[in-house]
Amino acid sequence: MKAIKDSVAGSLESSDVLVTLRPSSEAAVSLQVESIVMKQYGRRITAVAEELVAATGLSGASLRIQDRGALECTLRARLETAIARATA
Amino acid sequence: MGNPLLEAREARWARRLELARGLGAGGSLLSLTLRLPAPLRVGREGAGLGQGLYAALRRASIDAGLGPGRGEFRLSADGPEGYLELDVGLAEAKELALGFEEGHPWGELADLDAMGPGGSVLGRAELGRRPRSCLVCGAEAAACVAGRSHGLEEIRRAAEVLLGGPLGPPGTRAASGAAAPELTLGPRGPWAGAMGESSRAIGEAALRALVAEAAAEPKPGLVSPSSRGAHLDMDYGSFLASAAALAPWFETFARLGRGFGGREPDELLPSLRAAGLEAERDMLAATGGVNTHKGLIFSLGLLCAASGLLAGRGERLEAGACARMAARIVRGICERDFAGLAGREAATLSSGERLRLGSGLGGARAEAEGGFPSVVGASLPRLRAGLSAGLGRGEALVDALLVLFGQVEDSNVLARCGPEGLELLRSSSARALGLGGMATEAGREAVAAMNEEFAARRLSPGGCADLLALTAFLAELPG
Repeated sequence: MKAIKDSVAGSLESSDVLVTLRPSSEAAVSLQVESIVMKQYGRRITAVAEELVAATGLSGASLRIQDRGALECTLRARLETAIARATA
Repeated sequence: MGNPLLEAREARWARRLELARGLGAGGSLLSLTLRLPAPLRVGREGAGLGQGLYAALRRASIDAGLGPGRGEFRLSADGPEGYLELDVGLAEAKELALGFEEGHPWGELADLDAMGPGGSVLGRAELGRRPRSCLVCGAEAAACVAGRSHGLEEIRRAAEVLLGGPLGPPGTRAASGAAAPELTLGPRGPWAGAMGESSRAIGEAALRALVAEAAAEPKPGLVSPSSRGAHLDMDYGSFLASAAALAPWFETFARLGRGFGGREPDELLPSLRAAGLEAERDMLAATGGVNTHKGLIFSLGLLCAASGLLAGRGERLEAGACARMAARIVRGICERDFAGLAGREAATLSSGERLRLGSGLGGARAEAEGGFPSVVGASLPRLRAGLSAGLGRGEALVDALLVLFGQVEDSNVLARCGPEGLELLRSSSARALGLGGMATEAGREAVAAMNEEFAARRLSPGGCADLLALTAFLAELPG
């Protein structure tokens, strides 16, 4: 599924995450992760994002994740929403 | 997305950005949420706690000299949320927020974010402050939250230790499950001299007056603990909720009066009006949009400001002097406010303004501009006489209300029931007072009959009820 438009999901509130997705000319998905708990959960966030990108077959997009300490279920929901909004 | 909590948070974020875009260059926006897990955040206990924290935040803002701000408070699927627009820069707003989170007794339960015009945010890290620590274990909070380090009950216990009682509105200290204490009106006897001179004491006296008025019964046509009077849309609970929401505002009015540095008292009115509009919004939020105390915010707020002004000038606080000072603050208000009425859309007019157009009467404004003649000259002497004669506070207040019925052209009655309503108000109260009022069996029976008749006719003397609360307030002052 190719990203066809910009999309945003989530917020920059505590315990939430803001996911910003932009279409790009590259085939692969580029991933940028910032988190206030990077040390403890940075790898986990990246792994979840990569897993969802693979599961949805997303391509041609750059994905920015600004995490404010979200639970993993919140992160998944925000990623799914951003991808759905960008490919709809 | 399908998850109401996550959707509510996105909606809140959008609302914050929208409010931030509307900010002036030197303005900033604080937003308040609860720093608790969702199951504790949503529902009644979270709502009460959120409301309490929001009121405390606004008081902290006033105390810090940043003013009451413009605000809104609401309950979403994600729990309570409050917004506060301040006329100070982002850094100053964030300092207020940090001071509240760290310094206020319940501050640890609040999550405050600061946003500048256009949506710029300022976090702790940018200010070189340490990240927040966990409510339960003191480690870095974000890591505990993201890792779900603590169970719900563990967090609830930590919050309850902080509050010194069950989760819910701060300040309620009853053990959970215990019956609410019965409301009493305190001992019999005169009130004179009960009110102190600090802004806080004045605010507390105003709240006592509000509750004393609401609790007195039977009040024909009006809401009391055991009757809704002529009202379908409000009950005693609405009045208590409204009184609770307004409590901090009366102190604010007193403060505005005390801090007034101008020469002519009428220069104080614009700032009182601005605070009054904010108080009105809080009232509507607390009652779910029902107007319980709109007229009273004006007139009792005015008396609080007048009291504060007199106290600030070191003048003796007396009932008459306070009413006269209130009149000076609103000097010329009828002429100014009623000047442009004829050209306005009917839907934008208040009931007092419609009354003015229809009958030429001035309602609460005229009463205030005249120095509350029906209170100072009639209901207050009657209340004092009743108390001296040994009546209970509730009974003495009902007698004072009957006196007001005979004196006042109540705009609520005129609007709903016309001149016949006013005539009924006058004749029935004169009869009850003639039978001895609340001091005699016959008088009490007459009042009970009025209660039924007013309810049947939907006759609600709300203007008189407001004046009764003013009477209770002024009764705390000497002569």
